[in-house]
Amino acid sequence: MAAVLANPIARRLLRIPPSYFVFLVLLATLWIARPNMLNLNIMGIFVRQIVPLGILVLGQLVVMRVKSIDLSGGGIILLINYFISSGTFPGASMPFFVVLALATGLVIGLFNGFMIGSRRVSAVIVTLAVSIILVGLVQFLSSGNPPGDVPKLFNDLYNTKFLSVPTPVLFWVLLTALVWLLLSRTVFGRYVASVGENAEAAHFSGVPVQRTVILAHTLAGLIAAIAALVQTGSIAVGSVRVGLDLPILAVAATILGGVVFGRGDGGVWGPFFGALCFALLFVVMTVLGIDEPGKLIAQGVIILGAAIFYGVRVRNS
Amino acid sequence: MHRSLFNILSGRNTRQGLWGLPLLVALLISLWLTVETTQFATAENLFNLVAQAMPLIIAAIGQLVVVLIGGLDLSVGSVISFTTAVLALDQPAIVLIPAVFVLAALIGLINGLAITRFNVHPIIATLSTQYIVLGITRILRPVSGGTVPEIVIDAVSGSFLGIPYPVFWGIIVILAAWKLLYGSRYGLHLFAIGGGISSGAESAARNFGVSDRRNIILAYVVCSCFAAVAGVFLAGRIVSGDPNVGLLFELDTVTAVALGGTQLSGGIGSLHGTVIGALVMALLANGMNLANVSPFVQTAIKGGILLAVVGLQSRKKMGL
Repeated sequence: MAAVLANPIARRLLRIPPSYFVFLVLLATLWIARPNMLNLNIMGIFVRQIVPLGILVLGQLVVMRVKSIDLSGGGIILLINYFISSGTFPGASMPFFVVLALATGLVIGLFNGFMIGSRRVSAVIVTLAVSIILVGLVQFLSSGNPPGDVPKLFNDLYNTKFLSVPTPVLFWVLLTALVWLLLSRTVFGRYVASVGENAEAAHFSGVPVQRTVILAHTLAGLIAAIAALVQTGSIAVGSVRVGLDLPILAVAATILGGVVFGRGDGGVWGPFFGALCFALLFVVMTVLGIDEPGKLIAQGVIILGAAIFYGVRVRNS
Repeated sequence: MHRSLFNILSGRNTRQGLWGLPLLVALLISLWLTVETTQFATAENLFNLVAQAMPLIIAAIGQLVVVLIGGLDLSVGSVISFTTAVLALDQPAIVLIPAVFVLAALIGLINGLAITRFNVHPIIATLSTQYIVLGITRILRPVSGGTVPEIVIDAVSGSFLGIPYPVFWGIIVILAAWKLLYGSRYGLHLFAIGGGISSGAESAARNFGVSDRRNIILAYVVCSCFAAVAGVFLAGRIVSGDPNVGLLFELDTVTAVALGGTQLSGGIGSLHGTVIGALVMALLANGMNLANVSPFVQTAIKGGILLAVVGLQSRKKMGL
């Protein structure tokens, strides 16, 4: 096995994020099983469904590049959904909700960043605990029942199309391009890359390691808030369960996309295709009649498989 | 070898970590409950408390073994649910009970191998198995139901000389864990490996002839087996299989371990601290139930405690 991995062609192939291969395999499976489903309209609907996940992935990949993780997205989505649907702010306009959501995400992200960057608490524990607190709070405030309705404008915007492509999908591509620019063309992007490579070396080279980690988490909180707005638009009602499985899916998509704790081979588009893989995976599983438990197993196997793929490679390089 | 009370309370200069403070907290909560309520300080409620705390105590001890080597096992909750689901499969007990432990050991083995052989981060490895095991559990038992073997139910619900069986479960598990951690070569190796990892010298133990890989794999196997014991206990209590009974249990175990003064970076911690940590959690739950606090708020408060105890631990490493 070691000899195979030392082969130059094999090593070249191992550099490509697994998400591209998985995407092609799933596409081929779908093409064989249901060729008539592969048209722009149907695919547009499926891809539109995972836009909240795709946006959350953008935040996840930034924090994973600095060797951290953010599992608080579920709590943030639930809280913002509650703000919008509960009628706590009667007669509020859409811009107000957008600002409120972004501020919420910013504050939670900043808190995560402070705890992880300054207090040096384990990122998994902090973000999971934050998520649990937020979920408990929302369920208490709504007594466990779905809160209420979402202003109609959210869903109307979500349902628009531009040149027969759903607007949420375009919005996702645009945001991905922005994050790509941020990571590849700005000083912050360089800082993120160097902290991920080696935090100690970065520190001694004058990179503000702590500030970079805090900023990365703040950005992740902000992006989670955007994901929450899109998710709220998509379901158009209040819910006490929405988005709870998204953070873990986001981790899976990011790892699948070639970004693993400090290693950024997949860039931004690897995880983008990682999220697309999940869109296809859900379609394929629905077509094959595999339900929820099967999806849980698939998520676990994908995360473990992709992580082993990288673990083996690190040891051989 | 003089050790002042302050040193015990602050956990300074010890391998045991800070465990005096949580003991104080436990005593204070008990005192408050005794004064505030009439039901608390009755034998019935106290025995009930032990039975309620037992799954957490058992699973937290398993978690402690993994935390001591600087790891974390997030699959504990799923293993517990899985164990109850397997026990409710309507087969003879003589098949089911060994099967439960073999399967749990297998899950631990997968965790350990992924971490040591394939270089996967413990959190990622155990997060994956958490989902895989949860999925399998939901296939076995989509909703709670079925009945567990009679012998399992009897083992937790009877009493001997007026003392309910759960008390004996606790004594046996704690004695076994004591022997493992403080009375065996393996326990010494765990502290050695963890101490090396937490101070950044990951090969320190190996350099002194302690096989770190094998011991780390074994730690995850031990952790899963303790989770299975907790699962068997819980199955006896609820009499059926429940795919959601272990939900978020892994976080409760981490909270209990951290509350007991064990450093999550590894190498520093104690069995008695962990047991006290689990007792504090159980006392809090008992108190909040007596005070009629909403279950949703209880979850939020538990999250807050987790954040607080872990936030108070200082460590060098940033990130995961």
